[in-house]
Amino acid sequence: MSGGAAQAVAATAQPRIGLGRRVRRDPELAIGVALLAVVAVVAIAPGLFAPQSPLAVNVDQALEGASAAHLFGTDDVGRDVFARVVHGARVTLSICAGALMLSALIGGSLGLVSGFIGGAVDMTLGRVVDVVLSFPPVVLGIMVTGILGPKTANLVFALATVYMPVFFRIARSGALAEAGQTYVEAARSVGLSEGTILYRHVLRNVLPLILVQYVILFPLVLQIEGALGFLGLGVQPPTPDWGAILQQSKDYILLAPWMSAFPGLAILWTALGLMLVGRSLQRRLDRR
Amino acid sequence: MARYLTQRLAASVVTALLASVIVFTLVRSVPGDVVAQMLGQTSDPTAERALREFFGLDLPGWRQYLAWLGNVVSGNLGMSWTRGQPVGPLIGGALLVTLQLGFMTLVVATAVGVPLGLVAGIYEGRLLDKAIQSFSLLGLAAPVFWVGLMLLVGVSSLAGWSPPLLYAPPTASVADNLAILALPIASLGLLQAAAYAQFVRQSVVSAFHQDYVRTAIAKGVPLRLVFFKHVLRNIGIPLVTFMGLILIQILGGAVIIESVFALPGLGRLLLTSIETRDYPVLQGALLVVVVIAMAVNLGVDLLYRVIDPRVRLS
Repeated sequence: MSGGAAQAVAATAQPRIGLGRRVRRDPELAIGVALLAVVAVVAIAPGLFAPQSPLAVNVDQALEGASAAHLFGTDDVGRDVFARVVHGARVTLSICAGALMLSALIGGSLGLVSGFIGGAVDMTLGRVVDVVLSFPPVVLGIMVTGILGPKTANLVFALATVYMPVFFRIARSGALAEAGQTYVEAARSVGLSEGTILYRHVLRNVLPLILVQYVILFPLVLQIEGALGFLGLGVQPPTPDWGAILQQSKDYILLAPWMSAFPGLAILWTALGLMLVGRSLQRRLDRR
Repeated sequence: MARYLTQRLAASVVTALLASVIVFTLVRSVPGDVVAQMLGQTSDPTAERALREFFGLDLPGWRQYLAWLGNVVSGNLGMSWTRGQPVGPLIGGALLVTLQLGFMTLVVATAVGVPLGLVAGIYEGRLLDKAIQSFSLLGLAAPVFWVGLMLLVGVSSLAGWSPPLLYAPPTASVADNLAILALPIASLGLLQAAAYAQFVRQSVVSAFHQDYVRTAIAKGVPLRLVFFKHVLRNIGIPLVTFMGLILIQILGGAVIIESVFALPGLGRLLLTSIETRDYPVLQGALLVVVVIAMAVNLGVDLLYRVIDPRVRLS
């Protein structure tokens, strides 16, 4: 963490590195942040951009192409696709962010403990993780949501389960490496409890790994959430969710392609932003 | 080698068994089984009891599991509860579709992605590299089913062509079969080519920064020779591992893309068996998916040991 602390000190000591220079130093990060900023603003205040209701049905105007009144056209029951995509940002992103948070919390803490204490606990948890990892992620998602039923809570649970093993492994290998460090031995020798060492020292060194992994996995979760929604296993209509909108548009794909094009572009846009930021963070972590 | 193989196989069997227990429990933990679906709104206790007995659902869970496991070990996956067909051939037929899609995608992705990655790595930092990297990032960010849908729209509006609606096996008509598989392969292949390009580029770049490559360049070995003799040789090994990863990703992607293009593969079988609560088909299909994923991983590890003597020693 000393590197991060030093950076923080450096940043407060000389805060006037121009924005332009920062952008030039890491253009990928800048583009990624810009893409995500748009998504964040839209998700926080969708009403600001799309005053029309995402649920208002108007059959007279069904399946209309893009126009000034309906930027992204209308769907099969005349709802404004722009409003649905804009309002869908909050639904989709909060599900993904929440599921991934749950995944990081549970997977990360289990991995931390498992790597730090080792022994039988580590063996058992390792086996369980192997089992979960033996399913391809999408298949696991389909299995859990399909069997438990298409409810938002089940969707979050499914998405959290899919990437829990990844957080487990990252945290475990981080904790394993830290457990052998001299400072842990020193902390033990002055009589600190194992819990304190784990929480105050090991966790702080493993946390950056978990945070970077969070950003790296986010676009993947976004895609799986979209896929499950598309298969009808995710958020249920009429709630606007990017995957669910794509599911409802599927039957009109040749008749009204705009219904499918824009929610997919929204996923692409967000995933691209996350990937650019994630790559940049990973590079910084590797350099440390 | 033999000892390693035995150990790995044993571990795989244990994992597969645990996975099957999880699947079995999960499938049976939710309300609304096949009997409830068959009876619909009517509630006739006698009929319900008879049906449950018929499907073996009246037995305790662990006995159902052991009976199923015993049959699976002897090669019998049971009968479908809703189609009245044996599960084995049902899965076999679907698997053929998915495997054909998967392998053809792998070929396309490798043929497109590896050269792109090599070129990007050689021209690191130049315009060509940046263009390939942009393609690769877009490909990784795009949802596979959406790319499939957009290809369908693009092809039908630009070329006025759309694939046949009904699946044709290659044994019936090779042309029809390829026509219906073209777009699924293109959409899946595009995304996996993006992943390949990314990976190969990274391998080439890091190989060029190795000391022995620098030495070779410094002592005046022609760049072409350095590339073929040193760089290419060293990215071969990680590429094998990556190919395994790609194959598993293709398998997952195939499950989704099948439902876009109405292909009767494993993914569709999985989804319909979930909808109808057809437990024998669902359990069988999931088991097959897990076993394939494990076999790919095992195959990659073995291949790795064969081609890289360093791994064998450690």
